[in-house]
Amino acid sequence: MTALVIFGVLTVLMLTGMPISISLGLTVLTFLFTMTQVPLESVALKLFTGIEKFEIMAIPFFILAGNFLTHGGVARRMIAFATAMVGHWHGGLGLAGVVACALFAAVSGSSPATVVAIGSILLPAMVKAGFPKRFGAGVITTSGALGILIPPSIVMVMYSVATNTSVGALFMAGVVPGLVLATMLGMITWYRARKFDYPRQAKVSWRNRWRAFREAIWGLLLIFVVMGGIYTGIFTPTEAAAMSAVYAFFVAVFVYRDMRLKDVSKVLLNSANMSAMLLYIITNAVMFSFILTNENIPQHLAEWMLAKGLGQVAFLLAVNVLLLLAGNFMEPSSIVLIFAPILFPVAVVLGIDPVHFGILMTVNMEVGLCHPPVGLNLYVASGITKMGITELTIAVWPWLLTMLVFLLLVTYWPAMSLWFPRTLGMMS
Amino acid sequence: MRFLDHIEEWFITFLIAAATLIIFVSVAHRYAAGLAIPGVQDWLLSLNFGWTQELCIIMFVWMAKFGAAYGVRTGIHVGVDVLINRLAADTRGKFIVFGLSAGALFTGVVATLGANFVWENGMHHAVFSAFGLDFGDVPEGPTTPDLEWPTWIVYSAIPLGSSLMCFRFLQVMVSFLRTGELPHHDHGHVDGIDEEAVPVDVDPYGMNDNLHMHDLKSEMLGERRSGGDRRQSGSVVEVDRRAGERRHTDPNGGDQP
Repeated sequence: MTALVIFGVLTVLMLTGMPISISLGLTVLTFLFTMTQVPLESVALKLFTGIEKFEIMAIPFFILAGNFLTHGGVARRMIAFATAMVGHWHGGLGLAGVVACALFAAVSGSSPATVVAIGSILLPAMVKAGFPKRFGAGVITTSGALGILIPPSIVMVMYSVATNTSVGALFMAGVVPGLVLATMLGMITWYRARKFDYPRQAKVSWRNRWRAFREAIWGLLLIFVVMGGIYTGIFTPTEAAAMSAVYAFFVAVFVYRDMRLKDVSKVLLNSANMSAMLLYIITNAVMFSFILTNENIPQHLAEWMLAKGLGQVAFLLAVNVLLLLAGNFMEPSSIVLIFAPILFPVAVVLGIDPVHFGILMTVNMEVGLCHPPVGLNLYVASGITKMGITELTIAVWPWLLTMLVFLLLVTYWPAMSLWFPRTLGMMS
Repeated sequence: MRFLDHIEEWFITFLIAAATLIIFVSVAHRYAAGLAIPGVQDWLLSLNFGWTQELCIIMFVWMAKFGAAYGVRTGIHVGVDVLINRLAADTRGKFIVFGLSAGALFTGVVATLGANFVWENGMHHAVFSAFGLDFGDVPEGPTTPDLEWPTWIVYSAIPLGSSLMCFRFLQVMVSFLRTGELPHHDHGHVDGIDEEAVPVDVDPYGMNDNLHMHDLKSEMLGERRSGGDRRQSGSVVEVDRRAGERRHTDPNGGDQP
């Protein structure tokens, strides 16, 4: 009953269009003042201590690192390298787009930024080479979503904050699914390009490939700083994030020289703005989940599920549907922060691995980024291609379908996510 | 007002930069101190960097509170706006004002709660003892574990930040009532692309994506139709374009036929 009221209030408040953080906060306040005996002080304390965790501080650092390297110059190097490697196959530039998106996503960590950076350079080139505009738009919009699956990923940090799962294990678990999804997107691109006989690029000599690789490697090393640092235990995840931010600064300013020193303060301000927005949602989401836990709502949900005899299979299906629906209205970070605390205890009771569940949620978020009415990638792509949302939706469907197949794969084949971190000994 | 804006920007820029540097230095110190360099090693070992983690957290909490206020001014806070963006302009306007006042209400309440908390947690004692007043049996507040700073100073980020945020919400509301415009944030802005002759016409201030409230002046992204370059594509485009134009011209819009 209480649960219904809480979620009812939250839904109504959110639908009026106020910021999600505010609707979470107001729900908590309404509940506190009208329905409960929880002392106000304990909640006021949550307000202060909600984000006082060193793990959460990885978020601003990763955003900062990404913003330093989210630059047209970096995107151009990634595209040059990707084209040199796969451009001569069927689908040429399209295939290169998938690879470039995967590479760029690994350094920028933001899906919409990947779409803009890769898309606005590669799409005109594709149209010039004779690809239909829709094909290019479809490839870039969906491949850009790789950003939140390939580590370092902000959404995964959010999940670990909400559920106390190890960030390191989540990052490692994202590697194989990220590569698999990139391969699947590449295969559908290749297949369609071969079917419609789209142009291919000339083969590039190994010497030029090596040159392109040397240009791109500085950006790509970022992912090794993070993953290597966490894996070997040199850094904690948050320290790794701070190191990657410093590394990204050096690469952007002194190695690539894309950025002048006076631009740095602008990057800092933008990153602070973005991180503060996310941290503000976290603060209020922490209060919200405190209320939920206090009322034992996740436990009741779990008991109800078990009483109904819902097994893993049915639960995971329900989770997928729920998250895909939520993806119609909200952006990834908010969905994870609101839904993870409710669904996670149920998943644990049903014996689903926390890391696997995290990857599943992340993939769901990826799909949500690529379909209307709310899909950041779609809107950004619409801006650079000058295509309408409806037309873009039609353009992305082959790839979106591929992603849904991939989602099923991730959902019911935990070994794909869990094999790698287990092999590395980062989880039992 | 200008002054306040600048201080705010300068402050959060400083906090994020300083926190990054501090963590970098502390990690560098941890590994440098392990190197056997005569003289230097002893000096490095004599330095204590145990407090860095705490300072970093404090800085980011302050950045989060003041950055959230700055975010109201830049319009970065995301919401669920699918529904209200489909409403007619004047109804939507009412919802926008409602949303903004809800923001002001929440931040106002939090500021009051926070101020109360800070006062009870040591500020009372500190202020009264500073002025030599009689503070009776009011206890001295707790301090943070590593830096041993009084917590009330650390926690005063909440009342200060929330008050500023409340003020920003009111400010945005006033300017919305006056001009019908909201601040906009551009998610997909990437530097180093603008100088190229590429078709980036993402208007940084016209970015509406159903995650932000759509004000009464700018169009939704994806609704904008330029005519010329869309003619070569198929019939779907035509339908889409007409739908777009209808939504754009018809105040009662939406894509219902």
